[in-house]
Amino acid sequence: MLNSAPAATAPVLDVRNLALRFKDTPANIVDGISFSVREGETLCIVGESGCGKSVTALALMGLLPRSVARVTSGTAMFGGSDLLTLPQRAMADIRGNTISMIFQEPMTSLNPSYRIGEQIGEVVLRHKRVTRAQARQRALEMLDRVRIPAAASRLDDYPHELSGGMRQRVMIAMALANDPALLIADEPTTALDVTIQAQIVDLIEELQKETGTALIMITHDLGVVAEIADRVSVMYAGHIVEEGPVEAIFDDPQHPYTIGLMSSVPSIGPRSGRLATIGGLVPTIDRMPSGCRFSPRCPFVQADCLKAHAPLSTFGPEHRAACYFAPLETVFAEAAS
Amino acid sequence: MSAVISTVEPAEETVRPESRAWKKLKASKSALLGFAIVAFFIGIAVAAPILPIADPAATSWSVVRKAPSAVHWLGTDEIGRDILSRMIWGAQASLMAGVVSVLIAVLVGVPFGLISGYFGGWIDQVISRITDALLATPFLILAIALAAFLGPSLTNAMIAIGLSAMPIFVRLTRGQVLSVKTEDYVEGARAVGLAHFAIMARYILPNVFAPVLVQATLTVATAIIAEASLSFLGLGQQPPAPSWGSMLNVAKNFMTQAPWMAWWPGAAIFLVVLGFNLLGDGLRDALDPRET
Repeated sequence: MLNSAPAATAPVLDVRNLALRFKDTPANIVDGISFSVREGETLCIVGESGCGKSVTALALMGLLPRSVARVTSGTAMFGGSDLLTLPQRAMADIRGNTISMIFQEPMTSLNPSYRIGEQIGEVVLRHKRVTRAQARQRALEMLDRVRIPAAASRLDDYPHELSGGMRQRVMIAMALANDPALLIADEPTTALDVTIQAQIVDLIEELQKETGTALIMITHDLGVVAEIADRVSVMYAGHIVEEGPVEAIFDDPQHPYTIGLMSSVPSIGPRSGRLATIGGLVPTIDRMPSGCRFSPRCPFVQADCLKAHAPLSTFGPEHRAACYFAPLETVFAEAAS
Repeated sequence: MSAVISTVEPAEETVRPESRAWKKLKASKSALLGFAIVAFFIGIAVAAPILPIADPAATSWSVVRKAPSAVHWLGTDEIGRDILSRMIWGAQASLMAGVVSVLIAVLVGVPFGLISGYFGGWIDQVISRITDALLATPFLILAIALAAFLGPSLTNAMIAIGLSAMPIFVRLTRGQVLSVKTEDYVEGARAVGLAHFAIMARYILPNVFAPVLVQATLTVATAIIAEASLSFLGLGQQPPAPSWGSMLNVAKNFMTQAPWMAWWPGAAIFLVVLGFNLLGDGLRDALDPRET
């Protein structure tokens, strides 16, 4: 899968050193993260609740209200312009057109007062010079493409007549209606039950292959990551602690947090002992530790970790982790001898 | 494609919210009674020009203050006009006043409420404080003051009543918008690049409209009373055109000699207000999404 991603092409979206801060808080909620995604590639941003994944997505979409949070540094280059400094009007022309977003809650993400055909059509009408009839035709086409059976009769349904999985398909149809260059999916499967989750993930993957859109998938579900990702960025408390190709992250994790994350996934088959957990809790924004933000929970913590946050260092092709002591086995073996 | 359209009809058992609300409305006896009363009065008001009734302004010195009889079913007033005819034409003024003033209140109040709730910040502060100030003044006092300021006529009375009833709609709409604007589909609308105006018109307004509709129905009743009050005080419908309020105003001078002059307009106001209230209550129950 890694090989299929064209390494040479310029990234569709290139985020550098993005930092965000909530109003009246002492520390950045997202603290200098960088990532990029290329055409046809899937980047998964993984992390637990509150690590800053969703805020990052909202900031990129320009949907973060200024009264709540602001961007304190960084750039996000998309199609030659910086998303973080574009005026609202220009951002509105991009949203739903060249960058689309799928939200977590399909049950409440559709306007209950309008038929789904109109809602999909509206996105097309907003951004393309088409007639109502053409927009409706496009909506029908999109419903077909997201594999909604008897799409023509569903066009005039209201959202409450559809199940959660169907609604998420409608959301995907809306998001892809204008052939966006970049699709941001913020935990698109969290609210769905397991069988539907798998269908939706498969659908997103297939549609991405068909359209070649770049995909940023935000999730805390490592099963989804394993299935769909080309590359993974692991976030912890506003930092990217490790990033790399999906195989490297799963087979050879370097950062103690990633290692903990991987070993806390339950596996199918006979159970062997207790499921591993990472002790402690994610630090709250007013108690951010100085230095490495994972240090209070890290079993390998050393004095250096408390002084400064480790920079990302390289462990393989595109594989980087932010830990002074990675790879742990070598570093600690040397220290012991 | 045509095959798909022709073979698959929307499933019969799916229930649209309108039809559910309609069913509940039909099941409520009091709401139906309210609807019947309102429909009856609207019917006679609309049909006034074609009904075989006397000219409401034609006076006759031979039949001054006559009790109800076969000729004048509801009696005559102090200058011999037929009260039935004046009641029917008066229904026009009263219902017009009720409906038009509420329309004014809704058309002015709802947009302000939308803007106030949607944008928040200083604009919300300004609109909310003005609304508070208006709400602090008793409804009828404000209406009387405005009507007196604008000058006595039915049109001005409607404007005065409409403006006095407006703050309720600003408040109500603002409150509803505050809850609806945090819904995911509003964020979704923003995420597809829709402008604020489109979001307000298509994503927020339809989803806050049910309570506004209920409030409007109930306010029609209040507005009819207010019109009667203003006309009673001489600030509404001007003679010789009839309205229930102005008929009561005159009737109070003849309470002992010709009590029927007061009975009919009083009963009509009572009935039509009751009708709108029953209808409004029924609508509120029917549109309440929490009950199924």
